[in-house]
Amino acid sequence: MLLAGGQGSRLYDLTKDVAKPAVSFGAKYRIIDFPLSNCANSGINSVGVLTQYRPYLLHSYLGTGTAWNLEDGIAILPPYATQTGGSWYAGTADAVAQNLEYIELNDPEYVIILSGDALCRMDYHDMLETHKKNNADLTIAVMPVPWEDASRFGLLVADETGRITEFQEKPPEPKSNLASMGIYIFNAKLLCDELRLDAADPESEHDFGGNIIPKLLNDGRRLYTYKFEGFWRDVGTIASYHETSMELLGENPSFDLFQKDFPIMSNTLSFPPAYFGPDATVDDCIVGNGSKIYGDAIHSIVSIDSVIGKGAVVKDSVLLPGAIVKDGAKVINAIVGENSIIEEGVAFGSEDAGKDYTFCGNNVVIGKEE
Amino acid sequence: MPKAIGLITANYSTKFPSPLTDSRPAASLPFLGRYRLVDFALSNMVNCGIRTVGMVMPYNYRSLIDHVGSGREWELTRKTGGLFILPGSAFGTSRTGSRFLLRDLIHNKVFLERDSADLVVLSTANWVYSMDYNKLFDAHLASGADITVLTQAAKDKDVDVAGFEVVDGRVKGVKHGVVFGDTAFLDCFVMGREKLLEILDWFAATDYLDLFEALAGEYERVNVQTFDYEGYAAPVFNKDTYFKANMDMLDTKITHELFSERPVRTKAHDNQPGKYQPGCKVANSRVSGSSVIYGTVTNSVLGRGVVVEKGAVVNNAIIMQGCTIKSGAVIENAIIDRNNLVPEGTELRGAPNAILVKEKGQA
Repeated sequence: MLLAGGQGSRLYDLTKDVAKPAVSFGAKYRIIDFPLSNCANSGINSVGVLTQYRPYLLHSYLGTGTAWNLEDGIAILPPYATQTGGSWYAGTADAVAQNLEYIELNDPEYVIILSGDALCRMDYHDMLETHKKNNADLTIAVMPVPWEDASRFGLLVADETGRITEFQEKPPEPKSNLASMGIYIFNAKLLCDELRLDAADPESEHDFGGNIIPKLLNDGRRLYTYKFEGFWRDVGTIASYHETSMELLGENPSFDLFQKDFPIMSNTLSFPPAYFGPDATVDDCIVGNGSKIYGDAIHSIVSIDSVIGKGAVVKDSVLLPGAIVKDGAKVINAIVGENSIIEEGVAFGSEDAGKDYTFCGNNVVIGKEE
Repeated sequence: MPKAIGLITANYSTKFPSPLTDSRPAASLPFLGRYRLVDFALSNMVNCGIRTVGMVMPYNYRSLIDHVGSGREWELTRKTGGLFILPGSAFGTSRTGSRFLLRDLIHNKVFLERDSADLVVLSTANWVYSMDYNKLFDAHLASGADITVLTQAAKDKDVDVAGFEVVDGRVKGVKHGVVFGDTAFLDCFVMGREKLLEILDWFAATDYLDLFEALAGEYERVNVQTFDYEGYAAPVFNKDTYFKANMDMLDTKITHELFSERPVRTKAHDNQPGKYQPGCKVANSRVSGSSVIYGTVTNSVLGRGVVVEKGAVVNNAIIMQGCTIKSGAVIENAIIDRNNLVPEGTELRGAPNAILVKEKGQA
């Protein structure tokens, strides 16, 4: 069950028109490509995708799942009406609870709950093996975070066998530095039973982290951690989106799209190869197909179908698909939304802005006055 | 659009052997890095609304089947219609230089008989252009011709391109090879489906001929008219025209015409975007996805997954998918076929008028 209904409000204009999982990343991908590819690469063949916020682009992008080798394996699960009314998804647990029908129809032994918001490469099969080996009721993927940051996360305290003894939500004094990644493997029957109980509880906020996990711990259930030490980023803010994009660059990037054994799949349109004009400069960039570079691209992500005009400079920036930087414009320390236009000669962003990245949403035109 | 079906004779066999076409049919030749020649013929058909396409296969069809598969990328995986893979002449019985060999059409009459479309458009897979065939259909229906052939004034001498002798807009004969200004045949024509079946019956005894050769004595009886295509069209029949057509793709006016209005569909590989490392230099070039460039690339077309190492220089060249150009190697005026590993310090140089071809490698 892939939770893809989130707005990602701290991405501001980048998620004005599209849900966070549909935000473009890495020149040709969308964020949801990462969990979906993980599913395909982990041998999961049925994925329910729970959508809610601005779902059109997401729905059309998902199609029947063919692009991720999930032919007819994707079920899109938006909120729906019933004889007694129907409601929006009120929380992560509620979203799954409203779709128990889908789970029970598939009749699995295990259900993995995933976030459609995060970027990581992860073998869910390995996590499932750990779950089985521990004879666990619930396994939570965790990653070590620096102790000084730990109080920003939901933390899990575990014994030496990995069994969880305590859950702390953003505690002022952390007892652990293992942060929950929002990836859970449940025994399917337990999940269905617990979600029914939770749905009937008027006090509950219907949240996995806030309600379901604490209750299972109280009940003395077998909750285990699965420690993940690979690359994981939430890209919840403009700054983290920009910085994670930059982590794709360089000769030995911390986030390597070229890792061979674990391909990230996507459903992008087909474009001709990237074009570089006679006076183009390209240095330390990732460039998608269909883009045309006449000016300078330096330490940047140049997404599919985008254009950098003559004499224009794009530096330390991210151009999303279809963005156009016209002749002589300068884009520095910035993010330009999909199909947005930076007019001739405009300076968008600056060298000395530090981590205050300049950004614009999709389909906007940035002229001289702004 | 009038109801039409398409038939692609993808089994052209070249008159001049080349390492490029020793290892694959011309229809499978990689083009502009990520495409194959057949993409243009297929895309032209589906972009005008055709959803039933037969494809006459060459004997060495492995790469072509691998590429077109079930036709999904061209919206040809369907309950009704779709892509029909049709057998072509067996190895040794095909004729070099032939486009629409009667035997190939007669053997596949059942494809034509089972459909009810009024029109059938036939094409080889040897030309690069992007056209709305509805214009051809409209001209065909308006003129009342039996056959309307797609033509263009030849821009160059080319011994491989077929030409027509035309008098007052009517075709009076066909010839092999054109010179500047001749009426060049773009290897595409439209005609009534039933008329084609009728003509195929006339020539059952001379099925070793090409359709337009067989019609040689019949141009009074069969009304063949031309439709002049004004856009960009490039023939690809030999090494030199293959190289030239690829280099044409460095002209953005041409690529705009080819790729902007109608998509050229191709098999998706879904690989990574290209990576351009610190210190690289890339100018006047087209570089496909998942290539990694550390060195210098100028005036060139690169396929997918090409690695140009530090200090390597590629100029005026086509580098196909999966090649690695090691540090310090120099490639100029050359076509490097797939999966070549060009070792450190190697120089592979042709001349502008004598392009060097390095055959497929094993890397």
